[in-house]
Amino acid sequence: MHIPDGLMEPIIWGIGWIIALVFVALASRILNKRIHEKQIPLMAVLAAGIFVAQMINFPIGGGTSGHLIGAALAAMLLGPYAGLIVITTILIIQCLIFGDGGITALGLNIVNMGIIGCFVGWGVHKIFPEKYRTFGIFLGSWTAVFIGAFICALELAISFSLSNGAFGIPAHIAVPTMLGYHAIIGIGEGIITMGIISYLSHTSPDILKMPKITIRTSKEVAVE
Amino acid sequence: MIFNKTHLTAICGIIIIFCVGLVFFFSFAEPYGDGLERTMEEGGVEEREPAYSAPLDYGDNYFTALLMGIIGFVLVLFILLFLTKIMRKKDETRND
Repeated sequence: MHIPDGLMEPIIWGIGWIIALVFVALASRILNKRIHEKQIPLMAVLAAGIFVAQMINFPIGGGTSGHLIGAALAAMLLGPYAGLIVITTILIIQCLIFGDGGITALGLNIVNMGIIGCFVGWGVHKIFPEKYRTFGIFLGSWTAVFIGAFICALELAISFSLSNGAFGIPAHIAVPTMLGYHAIIGIGEGIITMGIISYLSHTSPDILKMPKITIRTSKEVAVE
Repeated sequence: MIFNKTHLTAICGIIIIFCVGLVFFFSFAEPYGDGLERTMEEGGVEEREPAYSAPLDYGDNYFTALLMGIIGFVLVLFILLFLTKIMRKKDETRND
């Protein structure tokens, strides 16, 4: 779901940059105050692992493939703010070093995959009580991909309308096609995320018990 | 030492899974576009010239992709370690 250069109307990618900068600055500020020494190697290893996982596309049928985004996974293991920094770092390296995703669209890619992926994935999985946590992990990951794809489809549709067809894709094609493919890709994301977290809960339960940098802790900082 | 034995085992495990995963990628998924690329195809949109040319790309054969994956893995690992270390340092300085 890496948006290339020249696909979106400049106003849309400009707004994407502003939203991304605000969220990344906020996440860095919170992380600055709350990051724990023990989280640093986990963050780095997880980010590197997600980077290589994103390179492996799996076929989903109909001549289409999908790959892990990993934002929900990072958010569930580290908290949404640290997760956002992990995904942002990956997206910047993919864009600047490997040309995966356009530089003008980097802000939108951070919004669709990083911000939505981390906060939606984290939020949905937290709704579920401990008893249904595994299902919550699956649904959180699936929803993160699906909502990210929906927002991307809206960006394509608005770009098309604003530019009279010079950029973007009409809504009647963008919305159903993006949602159709990503509803299936999200299942892959959910299964992989569920598998990794359940593997970690058996082999390294201490990782799952590590303190997460969450919205609540940011309020605690404000109270302090 | 930043990495303990568990982290080093995890790093080796990820690289081994990547080596195996790439075989499946080149066997089953390599010719297919992802969800956004397929949407662009169905919308009749062609990819335009990038505004910025990156120095590397993932390559189109197993060994190039493997090499690029390992380069990317190491880059992400160390850039994130560096960034988070700066954050910790700032925090320690502030607390002093």
